[in-house]
Amino acid sequence: MPNRLELTGITKQFPGVLANDHVSFAVKPGEIHALLGENGAGKSTLVKMIYGIMQPDAGEIRWNDEPVMVANPKAARKLGIGMVFQHFSLFEALTVLENIALGMDAKIPSRELESRIRGVMETYGLALDPHRTVATLSVGERQRIEIVRALLLNPQLLIMDEPTSVLTPQEVDQLFTVLRKLAAEGCSILYISHKLHEIKALCDTATILRAGKLVDTCDPRQETSRSMAEKMIGTGLKDIVKAAGRTFGPPKLVVNRLSTGKTGHFDVPVDNVSFTVRAGEILGIAGVAGNGQNALLDALSGELIGDDSEAITIDGLGIGLLNTTERRRQGLCAVPEERNGHAAVGDFTLSDNSVLTARDRLGMVMMGLINSGAAKTYTGRVIADFAVKALGPASTAGSLSGGNLQKYIMGRETLQKPSVLVVSQPTWGVDAGAAAAIHQALVDLSMAGSAIVVISQDLDELRALCDTLAVINMGRLSEARPVKEFNVEEIGLLMGGVHGATEGTDAIPA
Amino acid sequence: MQFRLEKRREPSRLMSYATPFAAVLLTMVLGAVVFSLIGYNGIGAVREIFLTPLTNPYKWQDLGIKAAPLIIIGTGLSIAYRANVWNIGAEGQYVMGGLAGTGIALLTYGMTGWWVLPLMVLAGILGGMAYAAIPAFLRTKLNVNEILTSLMLTYASVQLIYYLIRAPWKDPMGMGFPQTRLFSEAARLPTIIPGTIVHLGVPIAIIVGLIAWFIMTRSVFGYRMRVVGAAPHAARYGGFSENKTIWLAMLVSGGLAGLAGVLEVAGPFQRMVPGFPTNYGFTAIIVAFLGRLNPLGVILAGIVLAITFVGGEVAQTTIGLPNAATGIFQAMMLFFLLAGDILIKYRLRRVSPQPSVGAA
Ligand SMILES: Nc1ncnc2c1ncn2[C@@H]1O[C@H](COP(=O)(O)OP(=O)(O)OP(=O)(O)O)[C@@H](O)[C@H]1O
Ligand SMILES: [Mg+2]
Repeated sequence: MPNRLELTGITKQFPGVLANDHVSFAVKPGEIHALLGENGAGKSTLVKMIYGIMQPDAGEIRWNDEPVMVANPKAARKLGIGMVFQHFSLFEALTVLENIALGMDAKIPSRELESRIRGVMETYGLALDPHRTVATLSVGERQRIEIVRALLLNPQLLIMDEPTSVLTPQEVDQLFTVLRKLAAEGCSILYISHKLHEIKALCDTATILRAGKLVDTCDPRQETSRSMAEKMIGTGLKDIVKAAGRTFGPPKLVVNRLSTGKTGHFDVPVDNVSFTVRAGEILGIAGVAGNGQNALLDALSGELIGDDSEAITIDGLGIGLLNTTERRRQGLCAVPEERNGHAAVGDFTLSDNSVLTARDRLGMVMMGLINSGAAKTYTGRVIADFAVKALGPASTAGSLSGGNLQKYIMGRETLQKPSVLVVSQPTWGVDAGAAAAIHQALVDLSMAGSAIVVISQDLDELRALCDTLAVINMGRLSEARPVKEFNVEEIGLLMGGVHGATEGTDAIPA
Repeated sequence: MQFRLEKRREPSRLMSYATPFAAVLLTMVLGAVVFSLIGYNGIGAVREIFLTPLTNPYKWQDLGIKAAPLIIIGTGLSIAYRANVWNIGAEGQYVMGGLAGTGIALLTYGMTGWWVLPLMVLAGILGGMAYAAIPAFLRTKLNVNEILTSLMLTYASVQLIYYLIRAPWKDPMGMGFPQTRLFSEAARLPTIIPGTIVHLGVPIAIIVGLIAWFIMTRSVFGYRMRVVGAAPHAARYGGFSENKTIWLAMLVSGGLAGLAGVLEVAGPFQRMVPGFPTNYGFTAIIVAFLGRLNPLGVILAGIVLAITFVGGEVAQTTIGLPNAATGIFQAMMLFFLLAGDILIKYRLRRVSPQPSVGAA
């Protein structure tokens, strides 16, 4: 059987970076093929060229044994290539059906489209009501829209760039069932992820990129997560070093009956949340995206200011009425989940991005003037300490790969040595080596006496990192308990429980 | 053959500085062609409009005094536009600055002393600020779009001039002309080069531009304006409230427009007349964009636009070009500039008619 997709000598040069360097590999029909590599290894760049978003500088793409030039995504879809991006392009106020109709290249009457959508959903067990408004859907359900959209074109190759970083364990299982079924029918799948145990569970072959070059092809079922991670990095992987039997200091961050009003139409507010984090303690907050995590982070960071000063206290001092700048002066730093346009400004240099949050704590401002030298020095330190792949403090944030920008942001906040750090999705899209480094930095910060809150959907991360754990659901927080008392199933149920129950009504049985 | 726009990840810095020059050049070329086609001496028109003001030293003083208000207002607008605060009503704030200055000049009529002029300037700045505060208030309190309110207030300000100079402020010895009396000596802006009409406003404009450049690149205030414009969500995370930024942007741009107004009434006019609103406030919008929203660029752009004003007058008398020609040239410049901006952010890519699809 001819190869479905064959790449030969694909090369892509960006200013200062060779993102892909003579990459050659093939994907067979019906194969689930993983694309692995560190942050900035060139994975997204490679699939963007296959999907026609960018053109290679050199090399050949063969499709079912014919050389092709994929001029744009529309041409790719005509060939039979579908892609699901990590960030969805959906209109919140429209229904599932309307969203899919808008994304179709050909005009199809809506009744016919609906029956085709229902057909696809039934075949693959994708439960979704076509008439629901996107705003009411969870992230996993939104992803299903994108998958249905891709499947409507009967693709022979489906590309997925980090599809699971926002899903619950249950949603991941459902996704894998769909992908396996597709593969059994002969559709090839090109799958990018930093979660290596998922790769082991799902993929037949793995191609590993390092600094744009193909370094290895292996069978993930024959490897361990660790051995694959070490192949990606090229050296051994470090474990988190956490002093055993640590004791915690006095309560540092105390949140007492914190509630937020509804801000946007579709945001879930925080409802009467209370918890305590002691000095030296890492509290994990698990939960499915869209259950009030964003409101909680904004309320803690000061982007949303409530009306009760005592709702949030640091060392007994009420900070509930302070704004972000004043809270930072009191020692509270925060990292929101969205990096582009929220935690960082894409058009600004890294140096200017450091001014955004570090200017007061690190004395980058004197009499209203910015000391750009200090900003540059600090940024250089963040780049060095967190191994950020960037040309230097003068690179723009937008030119960094997703994971590298995340490393920079985490570095920018932790190196400020805050006494309270609140982070959302600290290792979102970050490779195994860098995730370990970020975890270690958080642990080190806690051992120096800071109180840390980690909001994440990644249970493995929370279990490895945190001392205590609580689960957020529809804006309410469960009681925090030592992390050792939980098992994965229990957390998964707490996370999905209420959510699943409210949605079960209109779901098509899988 | 097909073309499509592809987003550039890192827009070229060089190109972003080069487009204003290219826009001016293209305007000259296309202007020559268009005016030739409709029966004028096109090359001559371009020469008179763009070159004569530069080559004829007698015109330099005109350039200076036309450029000064454009630079002062354009600087303020460039700061506000950076923060995505769209103050379109600088013309009205300019008028209010002029009126506030006039009020002081009339109150102090006949008095002498160095303090009269600074007091007028202060009143002018406050007048412009106060008028810009209205759209700022409506925007921050009631979420009313500042583009509309600031623009509409311009027309109200012009009516206010007409009212004041017809009734309470009318020159008692003006033989019925709707204008105020000539300001007394202490309320007139001194000329700085004897024997010319170049007044103190010209060096003030340059200094305003330089100070603004320093503040925008070095200070937290400038950083605030830039980050709010580039990423409002990140600005909030960084501790810059949106409402405060809107207020600052409106007050700074309004205050500078008011400054231009008072300098204009105390300098070239020396009295308030019905012809005081000369669209400097609107032309300054082009100046701000042609100058890349960068105060140094605004100084250059102010001079370029002043050239077209002075040159337009020259061409009217020498080759009988209609007055509207100046406006056409200015509009072309803005058009080419905006087109150039798209090409900085996106690249034009030739797409051969999809052989890929045939192969499938
Ligand atoms: N348009 C661009 N302009 C300049 N550099 C770019 C551009 N796109 C990507 N790069 C650089 O190319 C390299 C590869 O980036 P790419 O996004 O493909 O990485 P990745 O493997 O997907 O990483 P991650 O796991 O972090 O998403 C990085 O060094 C990145 O900074
Ligand atoms: Mg990527």
